Amino acid sequence: MEAVLKNLRSTVELLAVAAQSGVVVQWDKQTLCRAFRWARYCEHVFSRFQDNPAVRDIMEKQLQLTNQSLRAALPRHSEVSFSDLSRCQHLLLVGLLNNPELPSSIMKILFDTPSPVNTNDEGFEDVTGLCSRIIHCKSACKVLGPLTDGADAEVQGAMLRERLGALLAQGSEPCRTEHFLESVLQGCAGAEEHFCLLIAAALLTPKNSETAAQDFLLDWLQKKHSMLQHMCSVLSDTILMDLAREHLKFRDAYYGLLKKWASDMEYSINDRTWVQSSTNPTVSFPKLTEHFLLLFKACPSVKENTEKELNDLKISDGDFDVRGLSVWGDLLSALN
Amino acid sequence: MSQLQSLIQLQETSEHLLNVQEMQFWLDKAVAWTQVDSPETQKDTCRHLSRLSVFLQQLVTHINNMSCSTETMKRLPFLGQFLGRLCWNPYVTADDTSRRWLFQCLWGLYSEHPSNPVERKANQWIRKIFCQLATDEDSVAAQAIMKHVDVPPKEYHLKVLKRMVTLLREDTGKTCTSLGNINQRCSCDNVLATSEACVPLVTCPEVAPLIGALLQRPTACVKSAVSENFLDALSSAYTSQGLSLDEQAVVSLWYHSLSSLEEAVLRLLESALTSTWSTPLKLEQHVAQSLLPKACAQHCSMFLVTNDIFRSTLKQAEGNDSVKSLIQAFTSCFLRELAMLQPQKRVPLKEFFPQSPQSLLVSLLTPPAEIPQKAWRHHLNWISGSLQRLTEEDEEGDRDGDSSGSTRLFEAWFLLVQCGHWVQVTVQLLVTSGPEDCGPLLWLLTFYHHPTNRGHHRALQLVHAKEVWDHLHSLFLALAHPLPVDRLQSLVTQLSPQPQQPQLSPLLILKLLVDFAVFFQQSLSISTEILQTVVDQSGLADEAVHVLHSLELELTKASCLSGDANRVHLRIKALQNTLTKKYGAWIPAEDQEPTCSRAGESAHGH
Repeated sequence: MEAVLKNLRSTVELLAVAAQSGVVVQWDKQTLCRAFRWARYCEHVFSRFQDNPAVRDIMEKQLQLTNQSLRAALPRHSEVSFSDLSRCQHLLLVGLLNNPELPSSIMKILFDTPSPVNTNDEGFEDVTGLCSRIIHCKSACKVLGPLTDGADAEVQGAMLRERLGALLAQGSEPCRTEHFLESVLQGCAGAEEHFCLLIAAALLTPKNSETAAQDFLLDWLQKKHSMLQHMCSVLSDTILMDLAREHLKFRDAYYGLLKKWASDMEYSINDRTWVQSSTNPTVSFPKLTEHFLLLFKACPSVKENTEKELNDLKISDGDFDVRGLSVWGDLLSALN
Repeated sequence: MSQLQSLIQLQETSEHLLNVQEMQFWLDKAVAWTQVDSPETQKDTCRHLSRLSVFLQQLVTHINNMSCSTETMKRLPFLGQFLGRLCWNPYVTADDTSRRWLFQCLWGLYSEHPSNPVERKANQWIRKIFCQLATDEDSVAAQAIMKHVDVPPKEYHLKVLKRMVTLLREDTGKTCTSLGNINQRCSCDNVLATSEACVPLVTCPEVAPLIGALLQRPTACVKSAVSENFLDALSSAYTSQGLSLDEQAVVSLWYHSLSSLEEAVLRLLESALTSTWSTPLKLEQHVAQSLLPKACAQHCSMFLVTNDIFRSTLKQAEGNDSVKSLIQAFTSCFLRELAMLQPQKRVPLKEFFPQSPQSLLVSLLTPPAEIPQKAWRHHLNWISGSLQRLTEEDEEGDRDGDSSGSTRLFEAWFLLVQCGHWVQVTVQLLVTSGPEDCGPLLWLLTFYHHPTNRGHHRALQLVHAKEVWDHLHSLFLALAHPLPVDRLQSLVTQLSPQPQQPQLSPLLILKLLVDFAVFFQQSLSISTEILQTVVDQSGLADEAVHVLHSLELELTKASCLSGDANRVHLRIKALQNTLTKKYGAWIPAEDQEPTCSRAGESAHGH
């Protein structure tokens, strides 16, 4: 363990040097390869110990100490946490590329055309063309992106679900898991619609695995009412139907939300229709009807009970057959 | 200023102007591509990609010829803008070749020792572009996931790419649902757009499964056609060996693109004619590796194209034995592949050979191994008789001014060339023939080597062939030393170029000589001595070894397991050894066989 901690410290120091010091002027290809080898080593350490809280703690402490001493020497040093170790090569790369002292010869190596055989004698990946490969892959995604709807959301959803599954399997406290979800949500600020797609993807693929993670997500959605509301207003009909079909919890939440939307409506005499005043984004009466129909189409068994419940609500409103008096009565007639 | 100097300057200016004009064209393109993000602009980018990379390559040379970046920027003021725009065009950066030249242009603009603020600024800009290209993320969600789920960007993007390829491959694999109705939406709708988008990605190994699916999609409806740009990009990548497609996808590429098939056939021809293949077996392996025989067995149309190319090559290089060897190797690989296909997928043989005389088709295409050895002579006599009749009819037709006969005769000969295994058997049987029954076989062998009756020499050539046969027959009958020097010498003379016409093909004589040495019931030492003396003196040792190798290959294929087979193989080995010991350079080390005595010992061991 001592040795591993020592290596961690050296690698974090290496990251700091690569990003901020003029020493990189003296780097050559060999130095570069060695640096990336150490970064890969840290990624291995991360994947080896990420599920081991005890070791993680020790390492976090070591990293804190290293960060402190580095900050003293390099004021602009950005701290490296344990989870940052998973992206150590990337951090090294970003640091290097942003370091104005980095020799162009090193940059040329990184942006060179990768050799067809990209492992050297020791079985390590060659750094030659590292950036070129990244750019190639990113560009390919951009080229194919317009042809594939939501492939990125699917991958992100799967990653999120896997992580949730891992957190739950570790027996971490629900609040920690929730905190994780909240931070992803915060990270997605400005892309809420995409976040909805991501959550939907996490709930839809693949079946029969990580049900614990999916359950957790569904419970979170029920608590996180605004999120559920957002999802139901932005997701496509197909996705909503799949979700309602796949998850009973979602179906119930969806039904509950539709009822809430209806109960929030007031009749506008000027527009001669039911309108929403409180919810944002607003849902129109015809859209609300469509949602109910969608739910019935996805789960035909729901139809009968729903109609019965709507009828009861209509009766409690006085059971008038006149438009504009009871939203339930008007919904019932729109649905039939 | 001297005249020379002003001339150089004038040339430089015109060169410079030319570049500016072309530069303007590409700058306009780069602007247009980035301004509108529509399927049309994407298509236009794909269509221009290969030309763009050629231009970028020229630009690299141009930039590198300048004294410094300041000069480059002065001469090509829009260069920075142009390169910058291209850097943010994913179609350009996805294409391996374009990206390589684009980056080289940027590095060409970079000053190792900046001498003024402009150069320093350019350096900063170039660094910034590189940094952003490698590390910037467009999507906040992707960033958030990478950060919180601890996934490195490289891995993340690779996963997304693979997922996209899977989704698109699934879409591409769906069957056509339009039932021929053009107006109805169907799963083929995206095929064209998908293939178009794959143009910059043809060399990307991750995209290979999608490319394979696109190529192998059945052409069910009019909308299922893949883009021409896509096929062109694939063909050129295949030619420059930058393609990572599986075998079946390559076959489909040829099926879709005639030019790429033709190119593959021509490349095979070229490789077979320019390099020396130490043994016929190696040539056959090379032909099989080209995938062409397999592709031709699956698609009759591809066989017809390939055969057409062979046919015209053979016509042009009438006597070229390398062409004949290649065609024989190809046909034998093709027949093997055809036999391996499931019977329901197999097209009848006559459709592969529509121009060949149908009466001869089955007899010639059947490999010797499938006919009992005892029936060989009868089989060959029959073939020889049929061909003789054909030549007679042809020559009669010629006299009546009808040219269709000569075409028919050529086709018959072409088929015989393709089925060279029977010619091999003919020579072998000639050794064990008597004077009374060698006629039809000699005729067949002579026809193979001299198909045209140019100058009406056939009869004369036949007489020559018979003389050679008689000569060899009596020579190998000689029971004891010393060998008749004068007889050997007359053989050497016949094998050397002679002034008088018509000369009998030296290869015909050599084949007979080799086969006599192998198959004639004569002691090995005498046979070896005869063969060695003659080939040494006529300088045909290499050719003799080659004939021995061909013989060995055919015998192995025919797998004649007669009691004689072992003896024959040992004799071949021994003869090869004697000839190659002297000409060691002919055979690479791996092919070197044990010496005669060791071969004899191992034979005892069996």
